Parts: sequence; structure tokens; C-alpha cells
Amino acid sequence: MSNGIIAAGIDVGSSTVQVALVTDRDDLDGPLLGTMEERIRRRIPSRVARHAFDNILAAHGLAESDVAYVASTGDDEAVPFRHGHFYGMTTHARGALFLDPEVRGALDVGALHSRAIVFSPEGRVERHRMTGQCASGSGQFLENISRYLGVTLDEVGPLSLQAQGAEPPSGICAVLAETDVINLVSRGVPTPDILRGLHVSVSQRLGRLLKAVKAKGPVLVTGGGSRDEGLLAVLRERLEAQGTTDIELRTHPLAPLAGAIGAGLWGLVRHRVLAEQEGREGAPAAP
Amino acid sequence: MTTLDALLAKAEDLYMDTRYEAARAWKAAAPGRAVVGHAPVFAPVEVIVAAGALPLAVAGAGDRVDVIRGDAYFQSYICRIPRSILELAFEGNLDFVDLMVFPSTCDVIRNLSGVWTLAVEDQPAFFLDVPQGGGAPGGGLDTAPVPPRAVREGFWASQLRQVWERVAAITGASTDPESLRAAIRLANDWRGAVRELYDARAEEPWKFPAGATYLVLAAGDVLPLDEHAEMVRDYVRLSRARDLRRRDNIRVVVQGSFCERPPLGLVRTLDRAGLYVVDDDFVLYSRWYERDIDEEGDPLANLARAFFDRSRTTATVYERDQDRAQELVARARRRRADGVVLMAASFCDPALLDRPALTAALQDAGIPVTDFKFAENTSQFSAVREQVGTFSDSVRLWSRT
Repeated sequence: MSNGIIAAGIDVGSSTVQVALVTDRDDLDGPLLGTMEERIRRRIPSRVARHAFDNILAAHGLAESDVAYVASTGDDEAVPFRHGHFYGMTTHARGALFLDPEVRGALDVGALHSRAIVFSPEGRVERHRMTGQCASGSGQFLENISRYLGVTLDEVGPLSLQAQGAEPPSGICAVLAETDVINLVSRGVPTPDILRGLHVSVSQRLGRLLKAVKAKGPVLVTGGGSRDEGLLAVLRERLEAQGTTDIELRTHPLAPLAGAIGAGLWGLVRHRVLAEQEGREGAPAAP
Repeated sequence: MTTLDALLAKAEDLYMDTRYEAARAWKAAAPGRAVVGHAPVFAPVEVIVAAGALPLAVAGAGDRVDVIRGDAYFQSYICRIPRSILELAFEGNLDFVDLMVFPSTCDVIRNLSGVWTLAVEDQPAFFLDVPQGGGAPGGGLDTAPVPPRAVREGFWASQLRQVWERVAAITGASTDPESLRAAIRLANDWRGAVRELYDARAEEPWKFPAGATYLVLAAGDVLPLDEHAEMVRDYVRLSRARDLRRRDNIRVVVQGSFCERPPLGLVRTLDRAGLYVVDDDFVLYSRWYERDIDEEGDPLANLARAFFDRSRTTATVYERDQDRAQELVARARRRRADGVVLMAASFCDPALLDRPALTAALQDAGIPVTDFKFAENTSQFSAVREQVGTFSDSVRLWSRT
């Protein structure tokens, strides 16, 4: 199908697998051929990764052998057919830069971790900071709470925007916060106010990450959390309230897939480098 | 015929066994046998074998033993290995060892020799005074005269002879030159097997994961030299035959873990973080000599000479004429390494004091380098994985552009 080189980026997170196909063909609008996302839903991540990869290949009429480089990011061991692996900050930086060439920072709000990244105009990571083991700054935390509240993940953002006030949990611990939320529900606190309170709690951590990496100018929010417009609104308010007016948070419809896109784009780069090194155009990592 | 899985399972069993059952079984198999323990780094295996004993590498217990009593004998701001070696002794895990040899690796191992003598009853220790070059450039000793080579070789031969005679007194073996010559032959073959493994790994590192290779090396701690040589050669043969996908990982030399052993999980983390380890200084006694020791002529003189003209450089032995930093640069180039990982044990003075010079030389040579510290009982590897993983990303994406 393609005369150009094709690479795939596969981002295996704790809740979803995302795949992006990219190419170096210059007769298209851009390098992105397509994306695919699949929830893991208690399945084995490696099977979901394989399934998603096979599906995107089928959707584009491609065979696996048409893909010169499969780059994983996130859980590399779930992609045994990978040629290489790139770490999250490397791929989100590249993906963010691709989606919005003006940004020099990314805030990846993932299911288990969040990280702030500052990078060069070429996508080279200059500084990054990540949340620790605690899940309270993560999307999974919000997802769990939304489940307790009986709302879907898609409803979280719009409901939070409707809040009249905010009832943050008393602590930052995700486990204790769940108990807090039960108490808030029993006190009759409206669901939008509880959700906004959670957004306030999470945004405090995200704000600290951005400050720690000295982010400035436009920053693209990536990862699954970038879909949560309620979180973005609260985070913008928080940055303004703390006097951080030199950060402009942006988003993009494909921002949740920035990791997979970045991995695919770096895969193209590595394929080219290896092909040059090895003096051939075949698969770079074949023995 | 063994399979690779069976071989690695055996190696892991030996690695995990802090009771050293394999060495106990060897000793119990025939009357008059003795086991001689040796602490890192240098091991006088030839004279131990020549005296009819089994050399047993006692290199701490990593994360497999809780150090409780061992902590009482050392200050908190030194490395962990002397504590875990003492703990092994206090727990009775080394009660079958007839003699412990402590080389002058550093102040800590030197002191361990004395503490052992005081604290461990009925198990004698021998302090092996490994030669040093005689002065540090730029330091107060820089102008100190270096004794003539013949004097230094003579001193070292006398040290080795003392170990040989001490062990022979335990086993009742004679100290005739032929037995030492035979032991040298055996050790040459064993080190040859280990060299073959390192060469094979440098050629096809995706077939020789660092974790598996580490286990196979460490299995030699408790095995007779010929058995270990056979295991190593089997590992090379079986690994070469594997049909594994070569990944876009970076090739690295790992340096700094020559004494206190990194936990297995940490070495496996290197595999998982996008690195192909093509050289390292793990289990260094098995690769102390870079070439065979001469087998013709006076065996003790040959052994003493080999220390000075074919030892691998290490931070624990100072030689005025050696430049360890340039040697590392040369080794990285020889192994076609994309980068170097300086992985030193916390509080390891020899490794950590070398680090600035090594880093500067690597940077001057344009070889990317990263560093971190570990302890033998480190159990959290995610930070290391993140660090070396981003190092791998950085090397692949930026160092060649």
C-alpha cells in the first residue's frame, strides 16, 4: 500500500492500549496514518496490545511486515513484538510537539501517573517530573471515584463544570479520599461539587509538577486526563490563582494518544538511523 | 543434555542458596576435603585449588539475608557487604568453611578481616596483602619510590605461598610445583570459558541477557572450576542457538560493581530498561587475568608475574602506570558500546572515588555516561529503570544526531 516507511507506536497504559501508525511519506497531509484505542478492561495487556495492533493493520490494509519499526511506550513487556521501547516522557514530548508545534511542555495525565515535561523545539526532554507511587494525582483515581458516584468517565468533566462549589477530600491519599467521598455522599453533597473537589485535589499535584519543571508558555495536556474538561478548567483556575500566568494550557483531540504518536514518530527516526548504520533498508532490529 | 532453562534454573538455585549446599556437598563427598572462602575482590584460586581445597566466593548475601547482628560490628556509613558476610557467619551458613581469605580490597574488607578474627570463633582468617603500585599521582605518596618489579613479584609470591601452605596444612596436601601447575592449567581453562562468554555476549548481546549471564557467573562462587567452566560453555552454546529478536537497545559497559554484588533484580532491570550489557565488572575474580597464566616454568613465579602484567584494571588495585579511565574508554570502544553505566555500591570508596575521573574521560571521548548507586539489598528498581531507560532514549535519539 505504502511506498514510504511505516512505524507503529503502541502505548500500553494501565487502563488503555493506544496505537498510532505513522509514515515518512511526503505525499500525505502529515505523517499520521491512523490511531486506535482499546480499553484493557481486566484483560491481559499483551493480548489487548496484539489485538489493537492487528486491528489497526487490518483497518489500513497492512500486514505486520509492512511496519518497519514497532515502538512501545508504557508497559514494554506487553509488546513482545516491539523493535524498541521509548520512555513516557520521551514519547509524550514528541507527540505533544507533533500535535501542537508551538508547545514546549507537556502535562501527561495518565491512569496511574502524571508527569510534567519540558522539551526543546526538537522534542528533546530537558526537564521532567513525575508523581510517585501514590495514585491520587492520576486518572485512575478519578475513574474509581466516578464509579462510586455512579457516573461515567465521560460525564465527570461536564458535571464538574456545573458545580456550585467544591468539596475536596480531606487528604491527598487516594484510598482515604474514597472514604471521604462516601462521607460526602452521605452528607448530601451534590455529585458535581464532589467531582470538582476531586479536580481541585488532583490539580494541586499537577500544578506542583508544572512548577517543579519550570514550565512556561503553551503546554499541551496529554494522556487520558486531557479529555477531562472539568479538570482542565480547575487546573487553569489554580495556575491563575497561584500567579502562574506564564503557562497556557492547551489540549488537542488526539492529545490522549500523544504517547503512541510520539513513539511511532521516534520509531521512524530510529529506523532511519539504523538503516543508515546498517546500510540497508530492512527491519532495523533483525539479527 | 541440559536445556538452557534447566541450566539457568540450576544457576539461580545456586545463587539463591545462602547455605552453600553445593559447596557443603563437595566437601562431604570425600574425606580430607576443605573449603576456603574468599571475600572480594581478588581471589587466589590457583593456590587454593593446588592445595586440594574448593575456593568459595563469599560475596555477601544480597537481599536474601536480613542483616541483624552484622550491623552491630560496623558503622552505618560504610557499604553493606561486610555486615552480610558477618551475618552469614553468625547464622552458621559458613560453618563448614575451613579458612577465610580477606584480600586488601579496601579499608572495609581489611577491617572485616580483623572483625572476623575477633567475632567468628574457630574459623581462622588470612589477610592477603594484595600489592599496590606504590604512590598516588599528585598525592603525598607520589614521590615515594616504587620498589623494583622483582621485589614486588617476590613479595606477592610470598603472600600466595603463605595461602597455599596454610590451606595445604588443612588438607594435608603437598605443595609441590606440579600441583600448582595443574591448578593454573585448570584456572586458565576456566577463565578462558568466562572470556568466551563475554566475547559471545558482546557479539550477540540479545542472546545473553545481563540477568542470566550474572547468574551463570555467580554460580561459579560455589562450583569447582572445571564444573563451572563446563556450565559456562554450555550456557554459551545453548544461548547462541537461541532464535531471539534483536531489539533496538543500546550497548553499554557497566562498571563499578566489582565488590558488593548488585541484587539480581537490579541486573534484570538493566535488561528491561532497553540496555544490552556488553561488558561489566561483576564477579571480577573470574576474569582477573586477561590472558592465560604461563604454564611452563616456575608456577608460583608465573602466578606472581601474571598479577603485574595481565591483571584487569580495577579501582581496588592502584598501579601508577595504569590509567583506569582510559582503559574504560578503550574497553567501551573495543566492545562497541553506545554508553557506559557507572553502577557503584553505596559507600564504595574505590568505585565512587574513581567516578569523577571515569566520567570526565568518557565525556572527553564522547561516550555517553550515566551513574547511580545501589546496595546489595536494594529492592526498589523503578527509579533505576526510569533513569537508565531515559539514558537509553537519549543515547538512541540524540547522541548520533
